[in-house]
Amino acid sequence: MKLRLKDIALELQVEERFINELARIGKAHYPNEYGGFLIGYYSDDKKILTITDTILPKKYNATPSLFMRDNIGVKQHFKNFYKEKPKKYYVGEWHTHPNNKAIPSITDIKAINSIRNDKDVAILNPVLLIIGYTDNHTEIGFYVLIKDKIYKYEN
Amino acid sequence: MDKNKHLESVIKTHQIAKEEQLLNKHRDKSKDVKESLEKEYGSNIYSPFNSGSYAKNTAINTKFDFDMIAPFKKNAFGSNGTLKDMYNNVYDFLYEKYKDEANVIKQKVSIGIEFFRDEEGDIVKIDVVPGRELNQDKYPDDENLNLYVYYKYGNYDAGSERIKTNVKAQINNIKDRATNEKDSIRKIIRLLKVWKGTKLNYPTKSFLLELITIKAFDNNDITGSLWDKLEAVMEYIRDEVTKENFTLKDPGNSSNDLIDTLTTSERQNFSNDMDNIINRIEDNDENIKTYFPENEKFIEEDNDDTYGDKGAGLFSIPPKNERFG
Repeated sequence: MKLRLKDIALELQVEERFINELARIGKAHYPNEYGGFLIGYYSDDKKILTITDTILPKKYNATPSLFMRDNIGVKQHFKNFYKEKPKKYYVGEWHTHPNNKAIPSITDIKAINSIRNDKDVAILNPVLLIIGYTDNHTEIGFYVLIKDKIYKYEN
Repeated sequence: MDKNKHLESVIKTHQIAKEEQLLNKHRDKSKDVKESLEKEYGSNIYSPFNSGSYAKNTAINTKFDFDMIAPFKKNAFGSNGTLKDMYNNVYDFLYEKYKDEANVIKQKVSIGIEFFRDEEGDIVKIDVVPGRELNQDKYPDDENLNLYVYYKYGNYDAGSERIKTNVKAQINNIKDRATNEKDSIRKIIRLLKVWKGTKLNYPTKSFLLELITIKAFDNNDITGSLWDKLEAVMEYIRDEVTKENFTLKDPGNSSNDLIDTLTTSERQNFSNDMDNIINRIEDNDENIKTYFPENEKFIEEDNDDTYGDKGAGLFSIPPKNERFG
């Protein structure tokens, strides 16, 4: 699946089955939210982000409207991905919105800004994937922070 | 000022792809020189190939290193032919062939063909390095060549009969490292080449900068931001290059020591220059622009149309806790 930003020449590529797998994992935690780290890599010209994998948190707290994750116990996974060819690295995070739309909340917007500003985070444009779902409907929203604004990727 | 951001811009504005037109002109001339050599020397020459920084992925766009190795058969210049005969014969041929469109110059181990400025103001330069196989018909197997040293080259005396090397091994060694370690080795090599480009006739060969950068990474745990890495490599050069037992083995022939291409005083100057750069930048970050200038031709205003990073590579550990809603 190729997604693009409307006015900025940046692209995001991700396999549909990978998204389906994340949705399956997330829904298993119903009625609570759930999520994890997104792993991927940029093209040489830094115009295309390919998301390939997830790392799931070892420690987290969740309610139907909140998901808090810790990075304890997963650092080695990031190192292992970085040893692959091409090198893969942390590009953002994903989480579910049970019984809700795939639209970022105020908490989500604060989180993505805090990620970008963290001194140990190398990237300037973290991506946020939200999987909103109800009993009979699932939708996804991919967002990216550019400077101080959040943009949504479109099909 | 943000030193890392500046260094990233130095690299970006020196990307060879930005000079596509000039690159194509070099490719075209290089092809022409190769075909001329093949036509002139027929079965006495193996296929000439590029060996410069373009072939090694370490090129910058202010200096196109288009070196062409011309591998000759052992008896190409008679059974008693010397390396000097080879060098002079190739020079005479290239001079006659290109004298109306280029300056053809004898250099240390190569023959430079500097084409006259064209109507677009571009100058194309191809360096031809004649080499001769060690034993008749063995080059296809061992890829070893002897080069002729035309004039004093560091500690190699003029008229030295030979520098034996395997150029393909040299290229592959640098290319592999520069390609696989893009965020470290390749970037630092390119930055050091940009610095070298600010000096007039600096004696340190690009090949030496490539090898010394690789050695610095191999002998030290060099991590951190781009500036951290560059500073660490410069400190390594400053501290090591003057040591008597310091060596830089030629990946094409371990008995060649590339540090021998510099005299003792040139090594001392190289060390002093590194020390000076580090100190001046420590005095004032802005001085980084003097030693590592952007290529002004390609400076762009910041735009949002690329995914960005903070200049310290792309590896991250995410923040410890994060809360989503």
